Amino acid sequence: MFEKEAIKEIEERQKEWEKRVEKCKERDIEFVTDSGIPVKTLYTPADIKNHDYLRDVGFPGEPPYARGIYLNMYRGRLWTMRLFSGFGTPEETNERWKLLYREGETGFSAAVDALTFNGVDPDDPRGIAEVGTSGVPLYCIDSMYALTQGLPIDKISVALIVEPFTSCPICAMYFNMAKNKGIDLKTLMGTCQNDILTMTLGFVPFENVAPHHLLKLACDLIEWTVAMKNVPKWHPINFTTYNYREGGITAIQELGFGFANAIAHIDELLSRGWKIDDFVGRLAFHLSAHKDFFEEIAKYRAARRIWYKLMRDKYEAKDPSSYQFRFHIQTAGSSLTAQQPMVNIIRTAIQALEAVLGGCQSMHTNSYDEAMCLPSEEAVLLALRTQQVIAEETRVTNTIDPLAGSYYVEWLTDEIEERVWKYLDKIEAHGGIVGGLESGWLFSEMRDAFHRRQTNIEEGREKVIGVNIYVTEEEPHTQVFRTNPRAAEIEIERIKKLRARRDNKKVQEFLDELRNVCDRGENVMPVIMEATKEGATLGEICDVYREVWGTWSPPMLT
Amino acid sequence: MTVSMGLRDAGMEVVFGGFQSIEEIVKTAIEEDVDIIGMSIHSGAHLAHTRNLVSLLEQKGLKNRFMILVGGAIPEVDFEELKKIGAANVYGPGSLIKDIVAFIHEHLDQK
Repeated sequence: MFEKEAIKEIEERQKEWEKRVEKCKERDIEFVTDSGIPVKTLYTPADIKNHDYLRDVGFPGEPPYARGIYLNMYRGRLWTMRLFSGFGTPEETNERWKLLYREGETGFSAAVDALTFNGVDPDDPRGIAEVGTSGVPLYCIDSMYALTQGLPIDKISVALIVEPFTSCPICAMYFNMAKNKGIDLKTLMGTCQNDILTMTLGFVPFENVAPHHLLKLACDLIEWTVAMKNVPKWHPINFTTYNYREGGITAIQELGFGFANAIAHIDELLSRGWKIDDFVGRLAFHLSAHKDFFEEIAKYRAARRIWYKLMRDKYEAKDPSSYQFRFHIQTAGSSLTAQQPMVNIIRTAIQALEAVLGGCQSMHTNSYDEAMCLPSEEAVLLALRTQQVIAEETRVTNTIDPLAGSYYVEWLTDEIEERVWKYLDKIEAHGGIVGGLESGWLFSEMRDAFHRRQTNIEEGREKVIGVNIYVTEEEPHTQVFRTNPRAAEIEIERIKKLRARRDNKKVQEFLDELRNVCDRGENVMPVIMEATKEGATLGEICDVYREVWGTWSPPMLT
Repeated sequence: MTVSMGLRDAGMEVVFGGFQSIEEIVKTAIEEDVDIIGMSIHSGAHLAHTRNLVSLLEQKGLKNRFMILVGGAIPEVDFEELKKIGAANVYGPGSLIKDIVAFIHEHLDQK
């Protein structure tokens, strides 16, 4: 890209300059990225002297996709503004969704409660205190009607944030509801998380099944919706690296885990006889926008290039849509503080800008009160407005990938790519994602990361305003959003009515059939579609999984 | 998890229970004969869980047998209420492990 002679001259001058700058006193901090990559004082064309523009950077919508996956990116269509929300009951969540829709949100996203996440019905006495607290309870088809009542779900996509243990029944309830409303499943848009690492590395699971069963369930949904074309516009999986990044792993590990996870699913589907282009174009990612501004932007650019190379070289995909790395963004919840909570607005705005400069397809921005409680109405509207300011006022969307050509950003993109390939090899050497989960190796990677981050904060190497720097005396934040204390009562009533209304004999027959399907290792979706249509609940279906496969506890602190 | 690691580093023995119901927590605490029950709650249901824990311990005649520590995404305005219910201390976001360790040494070593 640069003339050899010119580079030589730059390198010589740079050496001289570096000698001069060595004499300048530097602040007493370590100049590294959030992931620990050493950063030089200055970058010049010499740092990317081996770049071949067409090979390494290219054009948007063309290989290697470093600059973006679509030809005209945000000049054609802005990213989807999709705020993750849910609490209390489906009716209350529906009200919040309507408010966000009126205020300009362009996609919906359901945060479910801990019971729904773990396949437990609200009338299970062990879980009553949790009903509707950290999200919305969604455990039967009736909940889906209430959640989407009056919303244009035929035009706007819905994200169901559930994991493999519960994704098949929850999506099936949603599909049945949509079908009954007259929406053709061939056109139904939406997405679910369906990520095996979320309920293993990201959260502590409650009575889930072992990782290889979770992988099977995740792939059943991908196979039935996309490969078999029953719901071809669905995104049946989002490899949610965000959830494990939150624990303190680096940007390199974040991508490493995500790609290794994708590889595990792709290999499983190929082993079922599908071809790569039958399904891979509908797989998506959900990344974090964390604290290091340039590192995150370089991470998105590197991720697109790595995915392209994986699909081209490892899997020999032919369909261009298989080459496109699609990702949703969540700004980093773990960067927020309960101390001086208004500062969170600033953090979130900067992280959201990273995501836009990095070419995301959709985004959730955190609310400033989320270190303390679920978002209040005021806080969630500010979070939405943050995205709208970037989209409508800053003009950063005028041109695509505006940071391309920055010596630092290009160098860092290359550096991250190289480190991710190495880390991917390391994961594969530990048995890939499923092997690494079952042996506990991945947990030790996470545990070390948790520990490293906490130690860095305690010792002040990672600065956190309000926690270890610029600490002020402050009054406790009193505007705490509380979820409906009657939620459990309401949901127990709903489930009672459902059980009285439905044909219990028929439901039992479908659950028995599900047991056989699980035993035989067949795809669970067809029978779960039937069972949920008849009113089978999430807990009933997950209990069949538990019965057939047994429950699994992760080897966490060994 | 982070707290468990930090407490281990400080020389304490930690039984990481995972995601458990109140009944399981109490059962584990009795079986392992621990001094402290620590609950990490991020859902907003901290008041209900702490009440349930304390009342189950009372039912079993184990009131004051364990020091109860509660942490997680807990707003500061709830700290006093949690202490009234029976938590020895509460740790919201941004808490430092060294402070937890110091608290334990100060209050448990006196027993």
